[in-house]
Amino acid sequence: MAEISLRGLTKRFGNAAAVHDLTLTLASGELVALLGPSGCGKTTTLRMIAGFETPTQGRVLLGDRDVTEAPPEKRSCGMVFQNYALFPHLTVRQNVAFGLEMQGVRRDVIDRRVIEILEKVGLGGLNKRYPRQLSGGQQQRTALARALVINPSVLLLDEPLANLDAKLREEMRFFIRSLVREFHITTLYVTHDQAEALVLADRVAVLIDGVLQQFDTPEAVYRRPRTVRVAAFIGLTNLIPGRVTARSGDRLVLETSIGPLRASGPADLREGMEAMLSIRPENLELGGRDLAAPRDGVNRLRGVVRERTYLGSLFDYRVDVGGDSPLRVQGGVNAVHQVDDEVTLSFDAAAGWALPGGWG
Amino acid sequence: MPAAIEVVGVRTAPRASGQALLIAPALCLMLIFFVLPYVNLLLISFFTQSHQAPYVRVLTVANYERLARDPFTWGVVWRTLWLGAITTVISLVLSYPVAYHLARAPRRWKGLLMILVVSPLLVGVLIRTYGWIILLQDTGLINQMLQGLGMKRLPLMYNQTGALIGLVHVFIPFMVLSLTGSIQGIDPELEMEARSLGAGAWRTFWRVTFPLSLPGVAAGTILVFVLAISSYVIPSLLGGFTVLTVPILVVRTITELFNWPGGSAFAILFFAITLALVWLYLRVLSRITRPVV
Repeated sequence: MAEISLRGLTKRFGNAAAVHDLTLTLASGELVALLGPSGCGKTTTLRMIAGFETPTQGRVLLGDRDVTEAPPEKRSCGMVFQNYALFPHLTVRQNVAFGLEMQGVRRDVIDRRVIEILEKVGLGGLNKRYPRQLSGGQQQRTALARALVINPSVLLLDEPLANLDAKLREEMRFFIRSLVREFHITTLYVTHDQAEALVLADRVAVLIDGVLQQFDTPEAVYRRPRTVRVAAFIGLTNLIPGRVTARSGDRLVLETSIGPLRASGPADLREGMEAMLSIRPENLELGGRDLAAPRDGVNRLRGVVRERTYLGSLFDYRVDVGGDSPLRVQGGVNAVHQVDDEVTLSFDAAAGWALPGGWG
Repeated sequence: MPAAIEVVGVRTAPRASGQALLIAPALCLMLIFFVLPYVNLLLISFFTQSHQAPYVRVLTVANYERLARDPFTWGVVWRTLWLGAITTVISLVLSYPVAYHLARAPRRWKGLLMILVVSPLLVGVLIRTYGWIILLQDTGLINQMLQGLGMKRLPLMYNQTGALIGLVHVFIPFMVLSLTGSIQGIDPELEMEARSLGAGAWRTFWRVTFPLSLPGVAAGTILVFVLAISSYVIPSLLGGFTVLTVPILVVRTITELFNWPGGSAFAILFFAITLALVWLYLRVLSRITRPVV
């Protein structure tokens, strides 16, 4: 099984760069999510790997083979599209057999392998159906079976779950992951859904406006974003602009409009630099008006609850702490605060993550 | 009966009658200018031929009997159908690439390309045909060029070739439009998927694109075939006296031989043959395309 390696991949449409100087290497058998808002160049990247777009610059390597100039049919990429792209005039069996027929595999071998893979994806007995007679989930499974049966060197998935309802999506995430593990196939999974990317992927590549922002484990991308745009795109976060006034080890102090705040940050963030503090709503602890003095290294803010929304498993508060915009706080349903309550907010220095630069 | 309908269809009746009202104008038009003349033609075809009047109102099947027994009739029918079939096939082959590119063109280009495709229809059939005569005749532009290049003159007019060129030219827009609609409905991702599964461009076309465009192929081929076998001006001007098709013969039978019943019978016979052929063709196609439609 091969790995995918993109080297300085650039695609321009006219003057606009859809993808800019993208370098990315997927290890063998790795499942990588290419995550970004719509129009960020994810699909263009996928199509360059599959051979449907010619890169303006850069190379595409599958394994140790440079396929930049190769036509799609010579790349052995298994593809699954958002709307599955099942051939409507062919039955499930014929759809899955298509790739094997193109390879010139013997008929009895085709029959055996098609039956095998359909059993594996849980579609045994549906082989005579036409795509329109299948549910969304079944179509999805057919598309996966069709892509996997040819033993592709890599698997490319373009928003494969976007057309399924929430419950099925949840189920299919785990199904896809187990399938990829079982086949030990290097997989690039394009999605705009960050929850999907975090759940599924070994590593997440965040692409915004055609530029790779960060390529790291889901945890690192969520907790230690490298740019403000990544922090803002993935999950909910509060962003507070400020300036670094002191630094020791990975701890630093930021001077902000709501006072000095202790946080942590990357090594390249030095004293005197502009910075943006990112605090996730679930890392802010909400307390009553009069609390004991905070432990060392814990920030304490005073504020007033402006809004409260019930989210089922937790409450979502907007707390005015005197800054430009209220802070979002999400917490359990035990200690309930009312709108207009005076409250204290505290967060550990380790939970606040400072990023170099301001907005943008 | 009306009472029964009212009882059964209390709820749907107002809606149904509203819809019926909408198609009424078209229906009236068809009835008055198409169905009634055809009924008239059908009647005349069973009347007796006369030398004093267009026909005598005495019913007979003699007109059909004479037609059916005359090998000349069947020769002309066969040649007409053959000319129609070749026209259709050539139009299809020439139009498919055009339609494909039109269907896949960027939206801002589509309008302009569509106008270009339809533009031959903006010139009247007579003027266009005279244009072809200037190009195709023995001393026409093409033959002058060939002679200039030291080659032999080609007989491009007053034969089947001339008629064919003229017919294909007029009917290509009909074919292109029918095909474009159908090809546009095919998701380009289906072709991508086929390619990624190892099918080259050619096999992708035959295994995916073409089968999925069959509804458009059916519409286009029937349209062009029916128009081609019933065309009159082009075969008579570009084919000269050597190309004798059913419409030409029918007109001659009526206007030159003054045999109204004979001409009518021939028209009706040919109508029936065409109808049967189209029905057969559609049945065969629908058997192939059933999963798609």
